[in-house]
This record gives sequence, C-alpha cells and structure tokens, in this order.
Amino acid sequence: MQEKVVGKAPIRKEGLGKVCGRAQYIDDLSLPGMIYGATVRSSVPRGRILGIDFEPGIPWDEFVIVTATDIPCANEIALINHDWPCLADGIVNHPEEPILLLAHPDRHLLPKAVAAVRVRYEELPAVFTIEESERVETVVWGTDNVFKSFLLEKGDVDAAWAEADLIVEGEYATGAQEHLYIENNGAIAVYSAEEGLTVWGSLQCPFYVHKSLVKLTGLPEERVRIVQMETGGAFGGKEDYPSMIGAHAALLAMKSGKPVKIAYDRAEDMAATTKRHPSRTRHRTAVTRDGKLLGAEIEIALDGGAYSTLSATVLSRATIHAGGPYFWPNIRIRSRAYATNCPPHGAFRGFGAPQSLFAIERHMDHIAEALGMLPEELRRRNFLKPGQTTTTGQEIREALDLEKLMERALAEADYYDKRAQFDRENAAAGMKRKGIGLASFLHGSGFTGSGERYLNSLAAMDVTAEGRARVLVSSTEFGQGTNTILCQIAAEALGIDYEAVEMGPPDTSVVPNTGPTVASRTSMVVGKLVQSAAHGLKQTLLASGLLSDRYTTADFHRAAREYLAQYGALRSESRYQAPPGVHWDDEHYHGEAYAAYAWAVYVAEVTVDLATCAVTVDDFVALQEVGRVLNPVLATGQIEGGVAQGIGWALYEKVVWNRGRMQNNQMTNYIIPTTQDIPPIRVFFEEQPFGDGAYGAKGIGELPMDGPAPAILNAIAHATGVQFDAVPLLPEDMFRRIAVREPEVVAT
Amino acid sequence: MNPQRYRLRVNGDVRTVETHGMARLLDVLRFDLRLTGTKEGCGEGECGACSVLMNGDLVNSCLVPVAQAEGTTIETVEGLGNDERLHAVQRAFLECGGAQCGMCTPGMLVATAHLLKKNPQPDLEAIREGLNGNLCRCTGYTRIFEAVERAVSLAGEERA
Amino acid sequence: MRSHPAEYEIVSPGTLPGVLRLLDEQPGQWLPVAGATEVMVMFSAGKLGARRLVNLSNLPELQSIRDNAKTLTLGGGCTFSQIRNCSAVHKHFPLLAQAASWTGSIANQNRATLAGNLANASPAADSPPALLAYDAELELVSARETRRMPYREFHLGYKKTALRPGELILSVTLKKHYDGYFLYGRKTGARNAQAISKVCVAGIGRLHDGRAMNVRIGIGAVASAPLRLFGVEQAVEGKRIDDQVIAAARRALDAEIAPIDDIRSIAEYRRWVAGNLVVEFLRTLAASGDTFNPVLARWNALPPTEAAEEILPCCGSTRWARELAALQPLSTPEEVLQAADRVWSDIGPEDWDEAFRSHPRIGDRRPAAHATAQSATWSQQEQSAAATQDAHTLAELAAANAEYEHRFGRIFLVCATGKTAAKMLEILRTRLSNDEATELRETAEQERQITQLRLRKWLGL
Repeated sequence: MQEKVVGKAPIRKEGLGKVCGRAQYIDDLSLPGMIYGATVRSSVPRGRILGIDFEPGIPWDEFVIVTATDIPCANEIALINHDWPCLADGIVNHPEEPILLLAHPDRHLLPKAVAAVRVRYEELPAVFTIEESERVETVVWGTDNVFKSFLLEKGDVDAAWAEADLIVEGEYATGAQEHLYIENNGAIAVYSAEEGLTVWGSLQCPFYVHKSLVKLTGLPEERVRIVQMETGGAFGGKEDYPSMIGAHAALLAMKSGKPVKIAYDRAEDMAATTKRHPSRTRHRTAVTRDGKLLGAEIEIALDGGAYSTLSATVLSRATIHAGGPYFWPNIRIRSRAYATNCPPHGAFRGFGAPQSLFAIERHMDHIAEALGMLPEELRRRNFLKPGQTTTTGQEIREALDLEKLMERALAEADYYDKRAQFDRENAAAGMKRKGIGLASFLHGSGFTGSGERYLNSLAAMDVTAEGRARVLVSSTEFGQGTNTILCQIAAEALGIDYEAVEMGPPDTSVVPNTGPTVASRTSMVVGKLVQSAAHGLKQTLLASGLLSDRYTTADFHRAAREYLAQYGALRSESRYQAPPGVHWDDEHYHGEAYAAYAWAVYVAEVTVDLATCAVTVDDFVALQEVGRVLNPVLATGQIEGGVAQGIGWALYEKVVWNRGRMQNNQMTNYIIPTTQDIPPIRVFFEEQPFGDGAYGAKGIGELPMDGPAPAILNAIAHATGVQFDAVPLLPEDMFRRIAVREPEVVAT
Repeated sequence: MNPQRYRLRVNGDVRTVETHGMARLLDVLRFDLRLTGTKEGCGEGECGACSVLMNGDLVNSCLVPVAQAEGTTIETVEGLGNDERLHAVQRAFLECGGAQCGMCTPGMLVATAHLLKKNPQPDLEAIREGLNGNLCRCTGYTRIFEAVERAVSLAGEERA
Repeated sequence: MRSHPAEYEIVSPGTLPGVLRLLDEQPGQWLPVAGATEVMVMFSAGKLGARRLVNLSNLPELQSIRDNAKTLTLGGGCTFSQIRNCSAVHKHFPLLAQAASWTGSIANQNRATLAGNLANASPAADSPPALLAYDAELELVSARETRRMPYREFHLGYKKTALRPGELILSVTLKKHYDGYFLYGRKTGARNAQAISKVCVAGIGRLHDGRAMNVRIGIGAVASAPLRLFGVEQAVEGKRIDDQVIAAARRALDAEIAPIDDIRSIAEYRRWVAGNLVVEFLRTLAASGDTFNPVLARWNALPPTEAAEEILPCCGSTRWARELAALQPLSTPEEVLQAADRVWSDIGPEDWDEAFRSHPRIGDRRPAAHATAQSATWSQQEQSAAATQDAHTLAELAAANAEYEHRFGRIFLVCATGKTAAKMLEILRTRLSNDEATELRETAEQERQITQLRLRKWLGL
C-alpha cells in the first residue's frame, strides 16, 4: 500500500508525557481553594429512607452537605431512560447508592464524616439474581422487573425440530466483571454564575456527561463545559458513571462556590461503579447427523442491576451476536435484561457480545461432542459465507473466508499435533492434564442498527497559529490509541508528517460532538470523519492557491499560516452519513445490524493441575480480520490487552456478592492476571480493507474480549473430559467434578 | 499530633516536608512535593502504581509511612529521565507500546529500572518475576516484556 | 486513604533498648511496626485500631544474619528480600527461600520482615509452614528478659501468639541438619504471583529402608493459625508409604485441620487441596529413594569430641577426625565421603603421618602402636587376602618393607583390600623407585582410599 503514515507505528501522541510522569490525570490536578467531596451511600439493597441523622463528634458546620433537594433541575443521570437518580430521594434500590454528598477542605476528615451520617431505612424485599428477578415474586422495577426484551426471528425454527437428527440443549452463565482500570474514577467541578459549570474528569464520553449535567442543572448547554483529563483506563467503565461523579462534584461546587474534587479510592470505585452484566444463556439446537445446523432457539437473560442505564443496548449487542459466526437458516432469539438490587451493570468491553458468544462457542463444542465430531469440523461446516445472511438477515457482502481464517489459526497453534499429543499424554495417569480449544467469533463495529445515524457525529479539523493541523473530536484517549490513530489518519489524508498533526483538547467547549468513545467505533467511524475533514482542509488550502499540488509538511505549515493571516480561520467539518442501501428495522431487529464485522479465531492451550484444579494458559493464538490495521503496535496491544482481560474473566475474576454488594472490593481479593499469569499471546492479523472505514479500518477494541473465555473452557474440557459451562471458572468451581484417582483403602 | 519535619533526598534534591509521621510517602510525594508522576492505584500495595525506589530498593510508596522514609534517598519516575534525556526504559516503553493508558507506567518504569539494575540481562522469566508486583490492565503485559527487552539492548548501546 | 494521619503518632527510638523501654513503660500503648506492609494497609483502609506506633525499621539489632557452623540465625527484622538473597538460606533452608519468594511482590519483599510476618500471625502467611517444617526456634526479647521458644509453640489461635506484652521477636534460629532431607514446598493461591495462600504446605522427611523418617509438615491457611501436622507425621513415621498409610495420613489430616469459607476460597476446597498436597508430598518422598542413614543420624547427634573419636579409626589422624566432626551435621553418606576427602587433602603431611602410623606393616599381624582397636580389626580384614599367602612371599614382603622404611622413614602403606600378598609386593617394589615427594602423595592417596573404604564400612554402606 502506498500510505506513508497509516499502517506504521509512530510513537504514541501523548506517550512522552506518560513515560515522564507529567501526564495529568484527574487526581494530579489541584485548583486554588479546592475542597474535597465524598459520597454517603446506602448500606441496604432496597429500602425507604426514613431519616438521616448526623452523629456528634464531627464539625458539621464546616461541611458542605448536598441532598437530592439541592438538585436544581432533574434528579437523573441521563442515558436511555430516566430512572437513574443522581441522589436517592426517599428510596434506595441498591447497596452503595448515592444518597448524600459531603465536602470539606481536609480530605482526610471525609471518611469519618461519611461514617457518621446515619441513614435510617425501612428495608424492602430485594432480588439479587436473574432467577429471583424473573420469578417476579418481588417487583423491584416497572411491573415485571424487565428493563428491555428483544425477539429476533429468522426462518421457521419450529419446523426445524422435526428435521433434526439431534437436538442439543445447554445452559451457560457468565459472571460480573470489574473493569479495574488502574486509575479510579474522579472529577473536579467549578461553578460560578458568570462562567457557568466546568467539570474535569476521568471519562470516555465528554458529551454524555455534558448532556447529563445540562439536565441536572438546567443550565444552558453552552454554560456547561466538560473536559477530559488524561484517563487511566476505562474499558467501558467510564462511559456512564462519570456522569454520576461529575454531577456530584457539580452539585457540591454549585452549593459551596468552590472547586470540588471527588476522587474515589479503589474500594469505593469497585463497590459502587458498574460491572459487566452477569448473564445466563440457554441454547436449544437442531442439527443433522453430519453436523449441519438447522435451527436454534436461544434465550438470553442479563442481570442489569437496579437501574436500566445502558442495559437495553448491551442486551441488543448480546442478542445480535448470540448466533456466532455461523449460518442459521432458522433461529429465534429471545432476550431480556432484568432488574436486580445490585449496583447497575454497565458497559464493559464487548458490551454483551462476550456473554452470548461464550454461550454459543461452548455450545458448539457440546454439539460436536454429541455428534462425535471434532469441534473444528462442526464449525467448518457451518461458517457464514458470502451471500448468506446473519441472524438479523444481514447479507455477507465481503469476501469472507472463515474456514481459511480458522485453518491459519489452527496452524499457528499447531492445533492438530497438539490435540493428538495431549490425547496420548492425558491417557497416562498423571497429575497434569493438557488441552487445546478454540473459539471462532465475530464482533460488530460501531453502534448497532440505526445508532450511528442517530448519533449524527461531527468531526472537525483546523490549524493552529503555527500552521499545525489539529484534529477536533470528542473521541477520547484512554490508552487505546485514539490520539495516535486519528493523527495518523489526518496526517495521511493531509499528506503531511504525523508529527505535524496534533489533537485538540478533549473539551466540549472546543470540539464538536463526535459521539461517545465506545463500541469499537473510533478508528472506523470517527476515523472516516477525520479523514474526510482532513480532505476538506486540504482542498480548502489547495483551492486557495496557497498550497500547490506537490508540497512538503513545511509548505503545509506555511500555507496554513498564510491562510489564517488572510482569512482568520481555517476549519473543515465532516458529518456522519450512513452508507447507502443500509436498512435496519428496530422493531423486528432485522437488517444491517452493523456496517462491518470483525472476524476472529482464537486458540488456547491449557494445563489443568489435578491436585489443585489450577488452570494455566500455556499458549494463546489470536488471529483476526479487522480490516486494515492502521497501527500494528497499537492494534497488537489492543488484542493482547483484551485477551488478558478475557483470561481474567475466564479464570480469575470473580465478584463475590452478598445481598447485592461486592464483598471483594479490593485489588488483593479481586484477582486479575499478573505478569506471571499470562501466556505468550501470539497475535496475527488478516487484513481485508473495509471500504467505509478510515483507510479500510474496522473496529478492533472489543473483539479480543469475546474469544478467550470459550476457547479456554473448551481447552479445559479437552484436558479433563469434564464440561464446564460458566465463567469465571475457579478451582473452587471445578474440584468437585475433577476426580483424583486415589485408591480407596479400608481403615485397618 | 503535631506535624514534624522530615528530610528526604528526592531525585537528587534534599527536600524537607512538615507532616505527620504516618503520612504515606505516596502522599508526601504527590501532595507535599507535587511530584504527581507517582500514582495511586489501590492503596494497599497490590498494584505497584506507586512504586518508587527507597535507598535503591523498590517499594510501594503507599505502604511507607514518611517516618520510615526519614533520611532516605527516593527516586521517582520524574527522576528517571525527562523529555530531553530519556532513560533507556522510557524510550523502550515509548517505542514498543509498553504504555497505553499510562497509569501503571510510572511504577512499571521504576520497577523495570530496579530490575535492570539488579539484573542487567534478565530473561523472560526474570522479567515476569521482577514486574509481578505491577499490575497493568491495558497491555496484557506482552508489549511491556518487549519493552524491557528493548531497554536491555538500548542500555547496552548506551554503554557501548 | 481512609485514616487521618494527624490522629496517629509514630516514634523512632532508633535503638532496640529504646524501643523495649517504651513498650515496657507504657504497656499496650504502642504497636511495633517494621516493614509496615500490613499496618499501612489497615491504616489506608481506616481499620488500624492502634493510634501510637513505634518504628522498628531502623534497628540494626534486628537485621543481622548470623551464619554459624550448625545454625543460622535470622534477625526478626530481616526482609524477605534479604532472606531470599541469603546464600545460607538457599543452601540449608531452601523451603524458606521459596516461601520468601512467595511473599507478595518484590516491592513487598523489600519491606516485609520475617518477624512481622510471624507476629502478624495470619493463618495464610507463607513463611510459617517452612519454619514449622524446619522446627525453627524463636528468640523473644523484652525490656525484662530474653527467652527462647520453639516456633511450633508460638501460635495460640487466630491472630493470637505467645508474645507477651512488650515483647518482640528478636530472631529466628534454624538448625542446619536438613541437608539430606527430601523437601516439599507448594503454595496454592489465586494466581502465580502476589496471591494470598489458599493452602500452603512445607514438608521435610527422609526414607530409610523405604520407611518415612523424621517427617515434619507445616501447613497454612487451613486453620486459625499455621499448623504443624503432628497427626499426619505420626501416622507416617517409620512406615512404608503405601496406600494404607496414605489413607491414614488423610484421616489424620482431616482431623487436624479446620479450614473455613472466606472471601478467597471455601473450606471444602481447602480441605481437598490440603489432602492432595500432603499426599503429593508423601508420594514424592516415597519415590525419592533412601537418603536416611541411622549411623550418620546417631553420629550427627554426638558431641563433637565423641564424634571425632568414633571416626578416628577410619583414618588415624586426630586432626582429620576433629575437623570432620566439626562439620556435623552431615546429611548424607555421600556428603561424609566427600567431606572426608576434602579434610584429608587440607590437613597436610604432618597429620597425614599420624594416620600412616596407625596402620600395621603389610604382612605384619601385630597392630600398630597408634592403632585403635577398631583400626586394628579393620587392618586385619583389609589384609585378609594377603594373609593366605605362603611364608616365602611374606618374608620377601618383610624385607621390602624394611627397605621401604629405611628409604622413606615410614611404613609402606597400600590400600590392601582384595590384594594378594604377591600383588602388594609388586606394588611395593615399583614404589621404591619413586622420589620422596611422589611417594608422599602416593601414600596419602592410599590412605585416602583406605579411609573411604573404612567410612563406608562404618556407615554400613
């Protein structure tokens, strides 16, 4: 390819600040006269607030105190519905729900003060699991505890059962997962009647926070300004909750007239903020003896927590991905997101897809076993092919060859030889068993269905006084490489050096709304907008005559400066336009669910120690087709990081619940992989440029979260001969079914 | 209790702070000395984001009461190198994609510098062990291992 | 950070007597803090009850490592990094080095101390099982007294220890007599690094005639405190490790441990793993081969003078015997044989001569003047092949012996075992042509071979 910047791996834009320790995260920022805020939270899962007492021993007159009555306008965190209060008003629906806010100049005084606020409750019955919620014996939300449901139908499933040689059923479950970004949530707010409200924060989506604060405060849009600080990891966990923290800081700032910082510590962040939705998925599949999938009925249930937040969209993605990368002539998928009295579950890398893909990829191995067929063979016989349609009826128009993808992954993993070798070795009695397993999957890039059309994103480019090109987007950097990728795209489109492009500040008063930084949409969708804005900028300069057809970066700077001198400003904008011929039916969940899918086959090799049931992942091959790889180092880093999170979700990361409250809200007790728990992660790309993405890019960020859990559990089944269908899978969940062959000896 | 005066040599400079003996070294660095490069991730010695060198030894600064740091020599990420003159590990992390969100990075860099001082030619196992107290949620560690290996060769080039 | 630093006081007396005085004068007022890795976690979480702390991190008295011939004494203030990097720990107590490497991350190992780990008394701590298996001894110190206590008596219950008010753990002493033992150490945690144990086992023992001897097992995270598995030890001691003994060991284990459900694991799993690991230890011990030697075990326990006396007949040099006895305990027969050679070559001609003089002339039935009774008996046995020979050969031997003695000023020495008189005569004649220095080396080599053979006999090999 002839590109000069795209496809290369220039140094991360903000990298130098990060390695020198001068990158400014929210807790690194301190404003003159700033005071500190803290949150009083509910100690019960569900109840009526009878009263709030302030115990003696605290100088209460020194504290700024905010309750729901101090909220100027709407007491809600604006997302899809309007049910999520900013501060509980009379009723609490989950443990750790914010009730009251305190602020004081001495941050060390706050924990004691929080503990000295005694909230009296009349406890109400609560539900904590999908099973309890769906029984509807206790209604905790709406009339039936259901936040959202979908029914997706293709073909005639009921007819498929009759044709089937075999019907295979299975039930699969996944647990909550904590994002565990290394930087906790935090925000600083400043308010004055003259300047309006400004909130700095660790966040993914500046305009989400903006929208929410406008509703909360009733201030005009232009009087609310949101600025993203350097953000130390997010993974979806800073999509919705920063609106809450930002709102809290704002309320305290408005009441006190002082800058207010709220910085969560780890325990509060883990206990109070969102997690991945726990799920339960049931499969019933009609299949022929030679392994042709005839039809399926899939039933998905998500635990959404106490408020609806993003559950509807998470459920939507779970639903669309539930069939996996296979051709289903007939399928019916019913899905529901249920309310429970846990803190709301939210966005987390993959956004519902990891849950339903775990189920289908475990289920495929079950079907293969039931047929006496190898798992790769069953997949081979059912992979989606060009011209066929997905479960939503979306036709595959790209030159998709999943069989080839799988064969390459299996070859990279030395799958066939290893499988035979492990079968041989496992037959000998030993305390270590080895296994190898695979998962094949897909991940839709960008917002679902009409989502991108509704977002109506706008990106812009301008030039600085020095004549440097500047990317203006609300897409944020939190480690994935947004800054770098978008600057690469802009540089490529402008025909100038990467170093000559910079990012505008992630500040709602400066940049247009490019939509949220979620859904693997930044490279593909926003990148395309930046590409076209850059083209616009270039055309303007060329048309002005200040730049000739052939130019260097220095020529560009000069031309830009001259343009500014002559015309005052140089700016180019680009707004999202849906590709033609794309149809989506929101009611029937039919049509083009995503502009593009990324495709992947992952292979995991494991050792199971029969003495402890400890599972070690020994090798991991991750092969994917993500369109054009814009930056190989960043792309590889995304895959490796996602695989590590997937390994964590599969084998280590268990949220221990007690009546809706996370019990292990410490890094010591919520276990993520260390350097010594990660196998070699071998990343491979197939590149098939996607026409509607920036320089052929599709989405990449979420994809690697989907494959590890099923690949690993499939490998464990191969190693032990025991089928496990739930993650996280800890030794404690395995040992009862793993027999240690210890001779029985009668006592003498 | 009244605050007391504590003296530390931080990144080469003698600094005096007036604070409480149980104040965490981490807070002394971040709040009193405004060296915010050192990060807090967990506050319980688990994540290593607050790693600094104390008398040359890697420690979690969140677990050091300043009274125990009295008279010691402290090195933080800010002391490793700067924009003009990067330490080999900083260069290597930049080049290999070892830093993503950047939050574990300062601690990871300090831990790497410590590892390479103790073992200038670590193999992969030694790298894994040397960094096992520094949690990263972005990279899956693979870019970091590569960066450490690159740092070894960069350090070799610098010596040559 | 959920505590207010202003509400806490930390003092640094800077000397051990200063600390002890403070603890003595204001009993119960001060919490000693060394590496602070536990105290600061509690402090940050707002859960540190103590408001006044006394700093131990700068007391040199607590940080020494004393490596003596027979013991290793680790100051209570030694960090796990110091322990990991201590060559004597690696050589003599590898299970402790391993446990140190399991304790948190490198940064924590650089701060956390051995005494802190013990005094904190977490049932899941990593170092206690190893210290229990090695039967460590503690030295406890207060302003009033210093006392010693077997570590196995230290833990009294959940977070309850035998430490009296005002008392600190001064040091931990380990006896260096485990070198030939079979060792087993294994930890099960939630991940490979920085994990709090779900079960942690350290076992030592040896085999004699296929029977388990001197088995000692320490285990963590399966009871309210670290445990010595006395019941299991008793169930296997002196037994062949067969299925029945394994089953008995499992029963004993089940009765001894009392794991609980907590945030990190569940009782049933801990019990299952504890059983598997103890069985794994016993099975690998059984497969480890014989290393136990009863003569050596008895000898190792003798006072040095008696020990030297016992081995003197093997060589004849009192200095050799004394120096070899100084190496007590020697863990395996192989080690004895190697050490014997090493000492022999170290001591030199003067002491060699004493050994040479303890032998009778080849062919002479009378014991040498310097010989012990045992040596005389062995000499007879060694020369038994020669004894059957005829009078003529013996006469020729006597003549050659005399020539040799005249030439080199000492009796002719050869490792006689299995050699006929004629063969020895032939050797003697060859060696008569050696120069002085060559012949001294040759004689010393012969003596070395004799000593090796006698040591083997003594050890019953």
